[in-house]
Amino acid sequence: MASALRAAILGHIRVPVSQTLTLNGSKLSLFGAVRSMSSHGDDHLTKEEVIDRVLDVVKSFPKVDPSKVSPDVHFQKDLGLDSLDNVEIVFALEEEFKLEIPDKEADKIDSCPLAIEYIYKHPMAG
Amino acid sequence: MAFVRSVKVAPNSASLEEARSRVFDFFRSACRAIPTIMDMYNLQDVVSPSELRSSIASQIRHNSHITNPKVIDMLLFKGMEELGNIVEHAKQRHHIIGQYVVGRGGLVQDLGTKDQGSSNFLKNFYGGNYF
Repeated sequence: MASALRAAILGHIRVPVSQTLTLNGSKLSLFGAVRSMSSHGDDHLTKEEVIDRVLDVVKSFPKVDPSKVSPDVHFQKDLGLDSLDNVEIVFALEEEFKLEIPDKEADKIDSCPLAIEYIYKHPMAG
Repeated sequence: MAFVRSVKVAPNSASLEEARSRVFDFFRSACRAIPTIMDMYNLQDVVSPSELRSSIASQIRHNSHITNPKVIDMLLFKGMEELGNIVEHAKQRHHIIGQYVVGRGGLVQDLGTKDQGSSNFLKNFYGGNYF
């Protein structure tokens, strides 16, 4: 009977949850940092990293002369590629950064600065 | 498994521009199918996705000089058919390797001592008219 009473009482009392998450010694309350354990925020790439990786992808494209590649080069005008190569480079970038770029956006990317810009702004770039 | 690969319906492109954008759409759908294809035919050790993309692009570029939209439509239809066949596994691994990985240059092994005496005309004839 005591246990039934206890269960009934516990069913009506709200026990305050005072969890404190300790992160590197500092105490954060539950409502302060809701997703403090998740590492979602630090996926975002720095601009230098994006530039480096984009240039690597462009340089390793077989038809491209690596010495001509710079962060402001236009694929068709400066590197002498054609539009099909353009689509191929966009796909290589998709593969490198694990993105899926929709067709309309992919059509607009035809130079290094545009590519870097797009990838930097994309939330899912990995 | 009849897998209809996003068939581009209207057989008549109104203009060269439309045909051109259809070509790019076709190339994109082929590239998006590449991971599936590599999985199906176990090509992971043989070739990389970028090499496959390059070989598809070179085959498309092979016909890039054509200006008649109807001819382009016909070629696109054949391309879509080929892509559909590959994706629904109607082809086998050696087909893919022979046609897309090794390509035309790798097949001609015998132009060596046997044909040294023959004329240029014959050499070109044996080489085929796939240029």
